[in-house]
Amino acid sequence: MRGFTIFMRKEAREIVRTWRIWVLPGIVLLFAISGPLLAKVTPELLKSVAGSQSGVTILIPKPTYHDSYLQWAKNLAQMVTFAIIVIYGGIVSGEERSGTAALVLSKPLSRTSFIAAKYVVQALFLTVTVTVGALITWGVTVAVFGASPVGLLARSTAVWLVWALLLLAMMVLFSVLTGSQAGSAGLGFGVYIVVSLGALWGPLARYSPSALVDAPSSIAAGGGGELAWPMVTSAALSVLALWCAVLVFGRKEL
Amino acid sequence: MTDAAAVPAIQVSALTKSYKGQLALDHVDLTVPQGSVFGFLGPNGAGKTTTLRLLNGLAVPTSGEARILGQQVTRGLDRNRASVGYLPDVPGFYPWMTAREFLLFAGGLFGLRGEVLDQRVSSLLDLAGLTEVTSRVGGYSRGMKQRLGIAQALINAPKVLLLDEPTSALDPIGRKDVLEMIAALAGRTTVFFSTHILSDVERVCDTVAVLDHGRVLVQAPMAELKRQHGAQRLIVEVSTDSAQLAEEFAAASWCHELVRRADGALVMTVDDVAAAQVDVPARIAAHGLGLVRMETPEMGLEEVFVDLVGGTN
Repeated sequence: MRGFTIFMRKEAREIVRTWRIWVLPGIVLLFAISGPLLAKVTPELLKSVAGSQSGVTILIPKPTYHDSYLQWAKNLAQMVTFAIIVIYGGIVSGEERSGTAALVLSKPLSRTSFIAAKYVVQALFLTVTVTVGALITWGVTVAVFGASPVGLLARSTAVWLVWALLLLAMMVLFSVLTGSQAGSAGLGFGVYIVVSLGALWGPLARYSPSALVDAPSSIAAGGGGELAWPMVTSAALSVLALWCAVLVFGRKEL
Repeated sequence: MTDAAAVPAIQVSALTKSYKGQLALDHVDLTVPQGSVFGFLGPNGAGKTTTLRLLNGLAVPTSGEARILGQQVTRGLDRNRASVGYLPDVPGFYPWMTAREFLLFAGGLFGLRGEVLDQRVSSLLDLAGLTEVTSRVGGYSRGMKQRLGIAQALINAPKVLLLDEPTSALDPIGRKDVLEMIAALAGRTTVFFSTHILSDVERVCDTVAVLDHGRVLVQAPMAELKRQHGAQRLIVEVSTDSAQLAEEFAAASWCHELVRRADGALVMTVDDVAAAQVDVPARIAAHGLGLVRMETPEMGLEEVFVDLVGGTN
């Protein structure tokens, strides 16, 4: 793969030198810190709201680290997922439109390297960002709730990451297919809805990535079933999406 | 055994490109000898950028083929990339990089490393007049981007340099610098240079092709092209202005068009120069007048271009 390392280095530097270093880490950091605190104060808030209305009594169990982890898992499954769809909608089309793709691909850089380097660097960035976010969540959870098991949070985050890496691969494909950020973001949201709804049908819920959408929350709450098949199919679909992206991009005129 | 120098730098055969049934290039044939500075001339929309994109493998021809240094240009698999430098009409740079960073990045893609790369980057920044500029490319003027574009196209010391409208965004001094730089490459690097600016081609190119509506109207060495088209005009001055003589010339079988200038000179477009050169002095003598001047002037490229392109429109 000609030019892979050099282009990977450029992608990494682009993250550090542009808005990319602030947006996704900023969102993740915000939820990492606010999640445990919200989990702690939400019952108090509900109690005070209920107390102001005569005749209403709400029994709320004392919050635990499970609630903190659940907040984190829900934020990953929704807000961070939406952020990925929007941020990575233009991962390839942005370079096509600005003319940078045509310029760099007229040099000894293969189109496969172009796609692969983008995916690898952004996947690493996403993994590091979410891992740091999870560690911060754990630290704040310990500070707020006392001793908390890190394994539960790690499992919940890892399962979401597998789904997120599939979504990233699909965003690369959609960006190549549509040539526009808005178009690929629209397709990304569509896929998110379809995959989420897939969890309602037994076979899909057992074997497909649909199982991974809600699994982080279930794991955080202390549950979670067998996820080996959904993990394998997600990994396979990620590879397939990237392969299709390389094929389509290879035939595209710039 | 093939003589490497005899292989054309660029060979284009029946190259055709259509977009949704609309022909952008129509059976284009071109031969660009090694070491030449080749002007690819045409009005906007003639198909110049499409040709360059096809030569770069950034687009695929509908039919026909293109070869660079004997190798067929195949998108994504082009083995010639290391020998080719390319400047697009609007070069796209990463706005967060500085000029030096972009050149280091571009050189890295060609496998250049260490001191060789550093030295080449420094000399190209100097050539582009960007040595002192440390700001990011996003803040550059179009002229600065164009100069950086030329510098990046030269980073691999290419054997074939493809330039798409390299002077279009430059001020007169910038244009002069770029043209001098192109002229300096003659003989060492083949420069294929698309433009709609006639004076630029006239200044630096030794061979020229004129493209219009996706078709090559003519390809020839510059001098030959001017001679071919220039030979069709005749300027005649006689000792005394004679309307009758002018009428006779206009009616002659070899005369296509005649214009009487304010100074009395007769400017004729002729179909047969040899016949005119015999007939004109004879008729002047028959009228008892003296021949002051008779010449077939060298035509400027602009006139050739207007003659060619105007004729097709």
